[in-house]
Amino acid sequence: MAVMRDMIPPFELYQPTEVEDAVRLMRQHGDRGWVLAGGLDTFDWFKDRIKRPEAVIDLAAVDAIRGISAGEDGGLRIGAMTSLTDVAESADVMDRYPLLAEAAGLVATPQIRNQGTLGGNIAQDTRCWYYRSGWPCYRAGGNVCYAATSRAMNREHCIMGASRCVAVNPSDTAPALVALDAEMVVASTSGERTYPAADFFIGPDIDIERMTVLKPGDLLTRIDLPAAWPNARWYFEKIRDRKSWDFSLMSVASSMRVEAGMIQDVRIVVNSVAPYPVRLGAVESAIRGRAPSEETGQMAGEIAVEGARTLRHNDYKVALMRNLVKRSIRDAA
Amino acid sequence: MAENVIGTDISPPDLRAKITGRARYAEDFRAEGMVFAKLLLSPMPHARVRSVDTSAAEAMEGVLGILRADELPVQSEGLREGALTDEPKYEGEPILAVAAVDETTAAAAVEAIRVDFEQLPFVLDPLESLREGGPDAHVGGNISAGRGELGSVKWPASVFEEAGADRLPMGEPATEWTLGDIDAGFDEADVVVEETIVHQSVTHHPMEPRSCMAYWQNGKLFLHGSTQSTERTRGGVARMAGVESEDVVFIGEYCGGGFGSKISGAPIMAVPAVLSRKIGRPVMLRITRYEENYIGRARAGFQGWAKMGFRADGRMTALDLYLVQDSGPFGASDLFTAGTVATASYQPENMRFRGAAILTNTPPRSAQRAPGGAQIVAMLEPLVDKAARELDVDRLEIRKINAPGHDGWLGPQQGQFTSAYVREALDLGGELFNWEEKRQLSGQRNGTKVTGVGMGLSPFTAGSAGRDGLLVIRPDGKLHVHQGIGNLGTHSIADTARPAADVLDLSWDQVEIVWGDTSKHLPFSTVQAGSQTTHAHTRANHAAGTAMLGLLQELAARELGGSPADYRVADGRVFRAGNRAAGMDFAEAARRAIAIGGKFSGGVVPEDLNDATKAAVAGLAGEGLIAAARDNYSRGGSVYTWVATFAQVELDVETGEVEIIDLASTTDCGTVMHPRSLAAQTNGGVFQGIGMAKGQRWVFDPKWGIPFTKRFYTARPPGILDVPLSPRFAAVNEPDPHTPVGAKGIGEPPVGAGEAAYVCAVADAMGGLCLCRTPLTADMILAELEGRPRPYGLLETHV
Amino acid sequence: MEFLRRALNPWGENVPIGVSWDLIWAAVIIGAVFVVAHALLVPKKVGAGEIDESEAKGLPDRIQRHKPGARGFHWTMSVTMFVLLITAFFPVIGIQFPWVTIHWIAGVLLILTVLYHIYHVFAKQDIRNMWIGRRDMKEGALGLQAAMRRPVHRPRAAKYPVDQKMFHHAATILTLGAVVTGVLMMYRVDNFLLPQNTYMFSDATWGWVYVIHGVCGIGLIFLVIAHVYFAIRPEKRWMTWSMINGWITRERYLENHDPERWAVTEADGAGEMEGTAAGGGTGQPALSDKA
Ligand SMILES: Cc1cc2nc3c(=O)[nH]c(=O)nc-3n(C[C@H](O)[C@H](O)[C@H](O)COP(=O)(O)OP(=O)(O)OC[C@H]3O[C@@H](n4cnc5c(N)ncnc54)[C@H](O)[C@@H]3O)c2cc1C
Ligand code: HEM
Ligand code: SF4
Repeated sequence: MAVMRDMIPPFELYQPTEVEDAVRLMRQHGDRGWVLAGGLDTFDWFKDRIKRPEAVIDLAAVDAIRGISAGEDGGLRIGAMTSLTDVAESADVMDRYPLLAEAAGLVATPQIRNQGTLGGNIAQDTRCWYYRSGWPCYRAGGNVCYAATSRAMNREHCIMGASRCVAVNPSDTAPALVALDAEMVVASTSGERTYPAADFFIGPDIDIERMTVLKPGDLLTRIDLPAAWPNARWYFEKIRDRKSWDFSLMSVASSMRVEAGMIQDVRIVVNSVAPYPVRLGAVESAIRGRAPSEETGQMAGEIAVEGARTLRHNDYKVALMRNLVKRSIRDAA
Repeated sequence: MAENVIGTDISPPDLRAKITGRARYAEDFRAEGMVFAKLLLSPMPHARVRSVDTSAAEAMEGVLGILRADELPVQSEGLREGALTDEPKYEGEPILAVAAVDETTAAAAVEAIRVDFEQLPFVLDPLESLREGGPDAHVGGNISAGRGELGSVKWPASVFEEAGADRLPMGEPATEWTLGDIDAGFDEADVVVEETIVHQSVTHHPMEPRSCMAYWQNGKLFLHGSTQSTERTRGGVARMAGVESEDVVFIGEYCGGGFGSKISGAPIMAVPAVLSRKIGRPVMLRITRYEENYIGRARAGFQGWAKMGFRADGRMTALDLYLVQDSGPFGASDLFTAGTVATASYQPENMRFRGAAILTNTPPRSAQRAPGGAQIVAMLEPLVDKAARELDVDRLEIRKINAPGHDGWLGPQQGQFTSAYVREALDLGGELFNWEEKRQLSGQRNGTKVTGVGMGLSPFTAGSAGRDGLLVIRPDGKLHVHQGIGNLGTHSIADTARPAADVLDLSWDQVEIVWGDTSKHLPFSTVQAGSQTTHAHTRANHAAGTAMLGLLQELAARELGGSPADYRVADGRVFRAGNRAAGMDFAEAARRAIAIGGKFSGGVVPEDLNDATKAAVAGLAGEGLIAAARDNYSRGGSVYTWVATFAQVELDVETGEVEIIDLASTTDCGTVMHPRSLAAQTNGGVFQGIGMAKGQRWVFDPKWGIPFTKRFYTARPPGILDVPLSPRFAAVNEPDPHTPVGAKGIGEPPVGAGEAAYVCAVADAMGGLCLCRTPLTADMILAELEGRPRPYGLLETHV
Repeated sequence: MEFLRRALNPWGENVPIGVSWDLIWAAVIIGAVFVVAHALLVPKKVGAGEIDESEAKGLPDRIQRHKPGARGFHWTMSVTMFVLLITAFFPVIGIQFPWVTIHWIAGVLLILTVLYHIYHVFAKQDIRNMWIGRRDMKEGALGLQAAMRRPVHRPRAAKYPVDQKMFHHAATILTLGAVVTGVLMMYRVDNFLLPQNTYMFSDATWGWVYVIHGVCGIGLIFLVIAHVYFAIRPEKRWMTWSMINGWITRERYLENHDPERWAVTEADGAGEMEGTAAGGGTGQPALSDKA
């Protein structure tokens, strides 16, 4: 059987308008169905005929899961189908969660942000190019990680959290949402579940074929942001090879409450260092009560990279992570 | 004088269609009964087809035919590339094509085909192939031995051992030339610098993939394709289809970029051409981005070593170069150009050039915007900086000291240049960029950012002679300039017509350009490559304009009395000197020319015209006042253009990221024909070069021999946000004395200049640390800064 | 149903990548069907009949069947086996947890116990005990007929009844298969014992390694089901018990074992156990088949 790429094979298209219908269709088709949001991850897979669902459930017309509204306790609710542009340019988000606005605004290009959704952005699959080339690696159900071999081209791969698979999570908004302590709301035919952002993303040790808790039949409906820390400082930075159309080599998100010059509370999350956004619990506890200074940042950076394990070509990520964590404390504003 | 002809900004005739989307590219065409084809690509980097089972595909409804390699007039053999092959020499080489009523069916049919491949040894890294017992890209050799023959070069293990991992092993070279006495040159030197130099191979990635559509009518092949040249594509298509040139109509009005990868067609055009004849239906082959990545050509990479000697005054006494070229499966000539271009930068008093062009199982190479030139400039300029630092000579100064003047020489034959205003370009650049002030910023630190400034000087060939111009004044009164050159988006299709209007003192709105379809009678032209077009065709159209002027004068004298010399031409009229009323307008002239016939309307043509032009004139005969002429102007030596680019960057020492703060470029490309377009060409080339240095990549998995950078987002050519919003530009604007218009080409030289300026500026920000290699990505920079292990060995390619 | 999972490798070659997970269910179902059928069809008591008191002479009350080392091995192995099975198959059937590290560590423990067992068997035990000879075959044939309620007299066994021997051999083959392939698979996953060497074999060869590992694993599911079933079957519980405390009673010995084929000497006595009436009864209150 010869391989063919760049040509979407036919599929059955469903365009429900209600959450219930979407969920029912998803359940009906199980792992032969595919949820379509903005399509920017989806069509890549389809074009290369690597993922070949028989049914595609397009969420574009499900209005209930699009838009930004006030949440309980002063928080904000963002529907999964809200475009990244709308997230980045929403006055509410910019005002209260500038961290998220910044992260969403750094995704790819304006066109992609217009089309891509927040839900799709956090649910997107890894960009490991072995996997994306359709090679039968662990993540594709096979028995090998091509990226972890001694000669593999793995500059973009992970330095922690690996378990057989060394791919990284590519999302820019994911670390921001973890740093903001968001909650993901997931609907299925058996009801609604809520996950803290940090638990929404899973590593290959638990499931090597998925990046998130979402299983066939699960619909991410919205992302809830809790009330923002008053006077919080924040920092977001994305390192990439070029300034548009580019996934991050690494990104860092921090959210910090500083009183009397001391860090009262802090959340720091780094992405593209592991198969999931990594929240730096040990760093956070080590720096509480200290000034957000260069020294604290330096210390934090050192703690952050403890236990990092590099591959053939990604040693630089250790230095980069150390420095980014430092900046996320020192330069938070 | 009519205004708006030479040296002004014009809006080229194709602009509106391109901006509004009305422009039709190859894949926009449809023909009655048209069907679609899809390719089956080799999954292995080197293999032999043992057997093919197409039964399941053929049984599918809607499948119309399958084309195999052995059905093609041009077959793949040894170093000759065919459109299809049974011995693929790179992963992605097309094996066969399937035609079906639609693409969905064709794709499904390809998937249903079983090909049994015998896997053969393959090689990605030329140095591996040079080892004794190392794999060869072809069964039977790893190098071209000339005349299409394969040869083999192997170096003993000791050569590799001596060199170690990060220094080029230098065994017996396959190519070598020397000027002067290299040892004496180094003896004379006060400072000697030496470095491992590496330049990556990169794919062309034109926006428009090489889609093509073909059909046959009454024995004639009509082919819509995407190429850089038009008239010169016809012969290539004819050969691929196995027919005579006159039986081919090639149509390609617009070309979404080629960069050297579509010079005169592409081998893949044979597929719809032959398949269409086979199944008796028009066939459209839409090449996808994925396929373009394989068959779309690439720049040859180098692994090399350079050593330079300088006297205390900054003059280069010796240049010793050794380059191993990654030639892809079918060869590339960048290697040979590289040595020559180096002489046009530095005029070394003594020089030795050695090299070996090694075949690999990676997609085919072809010219890519300054082939050989951009690479050598980007690799050597940082080394010159290193020497300048050691000598304590200013970096701009050292380039001026070594740059050629009008008495300069080129290459091992030490030929003459037609003109060389290089020092003028460097001075102009120094002013434009404010080098004196900017160089003080070097190493300045602001927070985590360090400033670096650098520059690159890049020469490249920029002209040729001997082509034809063909002009028709039709009864509509307009001057129709028939252009055999292609329209690859550079505006040269319009700009090279300007001299004809200039000679006739005609305003630009009276000029119609005829192009893009060989049935429209196009004259013999250059291939649209090697930055020749502007030079060659301003000359050809100048010659044709002059011929037209003569015909108009003759016609007027004949019709209105007096001698031709009594007549002047301006503003669309030919008239008696001093009396505008005594004459006729061009429309009248055309009508009379048709009535008279003979030499006035194409009945008699100059003997020295090229055959293609003669045929074109014959086709137009009787349609107006027709002038065709060959460019017989003096040649006067090698036509070269130089571009100098200056860059200021900020390097973030905590991340390795580099931001370009300022860019300024200047050029000596002779007379400026079209200022806006010239600036755009130069800046575009500069960006392309920066892309190769900064982040563009061509990554292969070494175990499987398969590339990953098959899409724009993984290959990462630079984006507009990666360069400053307002790069600056100025031209010396001194006419080349050997061409009547004074213009030289500009297409290629900017690439090396931008690339070198970037690499040198980064090196400067790193305290002069010399990493003479591309790509030079953030991870490599950070590893250097942090003293961590290098992500890649210095000689590693495809990273 | 497919038996193999296959995929196109990067060069487009169709290679096996593992065994079809559907076989897990096949093994479970076959195991369950076997258990149910056996439970329904086979009479509970297929004993050898009367005890010939004369044979009892000179025999201790309790006869050691498994030395402490052997019992230690058995239970360590069963624990690792359960861990291996759970870590291998629960994630596949949807019960997800980080399994790989636990799995290979259990695998390493299994290997250590197997090595110990092999050493023990050669140094301390008589490997002939596990040999299946002609008499075992006859025993097996008659036993089978008895199980099918034919009126045959099943002869008494040697130290290990033939069905146990057969189980042992099947388990040995499958375990060794899993062990050998498991060790190779350690080269593919990150661990501190063996270096990662993904491309040690061609991918087709690797595929077969995974297939064998999977087949052995799935085979073990079946064996474990059967084994556990027999262990808790009333008429076999005395054997299970002996794997816990090491001995069997003289009565059980004479009832089930042929003294000619398993000659018991004084040395095999398990000694008197405190608090147990000498010469009395079965002495196996907890797992007594009469309970
Ligand atoms: C060239 C390019 C560059 C990019 N660069 C970046 C970048 O720099 N940073 C970045 O963060 N992203 C980047 N992206 C990703 C892009 O921004 C999108 O966010 C992402 O691809 C998915 O969003 P989408 O809305 O298009 O979802 P889709 O592609 O339609 O869906 C993505 C996945 O999520 C699932 N899904 C989507 N919505 C739901 C839902 N509501 N419930 C359950 N499952 C759901 C889909 O089934 C699918 O598996 C890039 C993409 C491209 C093509
Ligand atoms: C004897 C009982 C065992 C069973 C039932 C068992 C079963 C399995 C199964 C089903 C898998 C998943 C294989 C796949 O994805 O195709 C697996 C993986 C694995 N097993 Fe075992 N196994 C056993 C013993 C061992 C032993 C003894 C070792 C070695 C120390 C071992 C090491 C591994 C490793 C390293 C993997 C992961 C390999 C990979 O995913 O690439 N296993 N096992
Ligand atoms: S890193 Fe993960 S996704 Fe990439 S090849 Fe390895 S297993 Fe597959």
